[in-house]
Amino acid sequence: MKSIINIKNLSFSYGKELALNKLNAQFDAGKLSIILGRNGSGKSTLFNIMAGIQKKYDGQVYFDGCERRNIGTGKKRTIRIGFLNQFHHTTFPFTVREVIMTGRASFQNFAPSAADKEAVILILERFNLLHLIDKSYISLSGGERQLVLLCRVLVQKPDILMLDEPTNHLDLHYQIAVLKCIKELANEGTTVLCVMHDPNLAFMYGDNLYIMQNKQLVDIKDLEYRQLHVLLEETYQIPLVQLDNQGRNLFVPKI
Amino acid sequence: MNYYVKVTLLWLVPLILLIGSLMLGTTGNLTITELLDYVNKLITNNGVINAPQETILWKVRLPRIVLTFLVGSSLAVAGAVLQAIFRNPIVDPFTLGISSGSAFGAALAMLFPIMSVNLSAFIFGVCAVAFTYLVSFVGARTTIVSMVLSGVIVSGAFTALLTLLQYMSDPYKLQAIIQWTMGNLHTASWQKVQSAFGPIILGLVVVLLLRFKLNVLALGDNEALAVGINPKYLKLALIAVSTMITASAVAAVGVISLFGLIVPHMTRMAFGPNNNIGIWANISIGGSFLLIIDDFSRAVMPFEIPVGVFTMIIGTPIFIILMRKSLSIWSS
Repeated sequence: MKSIINIKNLSFSYGKELALNKLNAQFDAGKLSIILGRNGSGKSTLFNIMAGIQKKYDGQVYFDGCERRNIGTGKKRTIRIGFLNQFHHTTFPFTVREVIMTGRASFQNFAPSAADKEAVILILERFNLLHLIDKSYISLSGGERQLVLLCRVLVQKPDILMLDEPTNHLDLHYQIAVLKCIKELANEGTTVLCVMHDPNLAFMYGDNLYIMQNKQLVDIKDLEYRQLHVLLEETYQIPLVQLDNQGRNLFVPKI
Repeated sequence: MNYYVKVTLLWLVPLILLIGSLMLGTTGNLTITELLDYVNKLITNNGVINAPQETILWKVRLPRIVLTFLVGSSLAVAGAVLQAIFRNPIVDPFTLGISSGSAFGAALAMLFPIMSVNLSAFIFGVCAVAFTYLVSFVGARTTIVSMVLSGVIVSGAFTALLTLLQYMSDPYKLQAIIQWTMGNLHTASWQKVQSAFGPIILGLVVVLLLRFKLNVLALGDNEALAVGINPKYLKLALIAVSTMITASAVAAVGVISLFGLIVPHMTRMAFGPNNNIGIWANISIGGSFLLIIDDFSRAVMPFEIPVGVFTMIIGTPIFIILMRKSLSIWSS
């Protein structure tokens, strides 16, 4: 399997507080890789570094052989990296169409083309959200906003898609809808990287699984279920019960 | 109202206002037939043109109308651009310190005439924004909050310096300084139009070209990066352009308060926050609105109220109404 993202000896600290310590990882191309971990374990820090928001790190982060800091923006960029942040606050009541159209901005010199307008409609159709197109983004529910933002990132047809807790604020229906769609994208060849909180959803949809532990990333895909059980209990600091879900492992808290 | 009707009005209203404003004046109002007759004579080049009428129309009213429209458009567009970039509806072109910098520059040139008042106002306006930008750099990057706060501080410093100049100057110069800072459309001339025209038109063209990208910036820096747009240089370019058009406007006619804050709000209420149409609308509404204000103070009032004072007086209630209407949007 060809790995498209290579992280070597990545360290990062907030002041004197070390957040990542000589982290090494590889992510496969065209797969859905999911990163699990506690709150404050450094998942979002790693995410921000990979997204290009945080640039002051030690070590190397290669995307398809190119150091993250050297990947440009706009039409010039060699590899399209799209990401969805955890928090978003908007001031102005843009319509859904306008919000998603901004996702096509890197394809345009000045004005959107007919292809850009069509892409906006297509992505909304894919998620069955076409009825929202002329609604104000601000008037939407949290879940709908999250989906619209996901559409906005997807409309640029990224080679690599990074999502920080994409199922946040979503009800079960939309959680599954989003994960299915992400999985589909991965099957179509997009490399998807996803930070998540729910280990069970991760086990159901992830091709590759990682857990953030001791400021490093541990690959847990090939662990035996007993080892996994121990690791999850260690990570989340609660006793867990292992159940069977149609041949897959399901971990629930023991009460 | 239908979207297309609104868009047609954007073109139609300024045109009607332009003609209407030509007919109004303290020296007597013209009828439309008189105006057409004059234009007809001018174009066909026959018939005797009434000399005083020509002077009034060509040398007094027209430059004032053109300058007023340009300044109104500039302040509105600069306000809209900065509100989008800073994602803050209470930012206006003067937030970054242009007005106090320019006022100080103008006063300085009036007291020590080394260069023209307009040029000095322009230079110090730009300097004030540059200061604001430099002060707001915190650890190699600048945030919205630090920039707005720096603007307040830099404004304060220039206002203090202006007060010092006023304190030192003799009564006649003091009067001139105060009149300048209150806005002075009545001193409009073709020469002023000429010096303001170039930078303002250039600035407006740049903003018009980048108006789609403004929507990306209005969603936030990370959201721009998320779709492969680097917000840094785009923001810097747009701030520079807004500064240029605002400083040119202020250098030509003095400080016109609140205008650049209110017009973008009016535009957003009519056309929504999409800058694609919003920038055109700000040009049209900004120019038209200032023209109406100026016509009012020119033709209706028994004496001319300085335009800066006028916008402040009528701007306050308008802003309160707009604010209360759109409060629900901001707070969510």
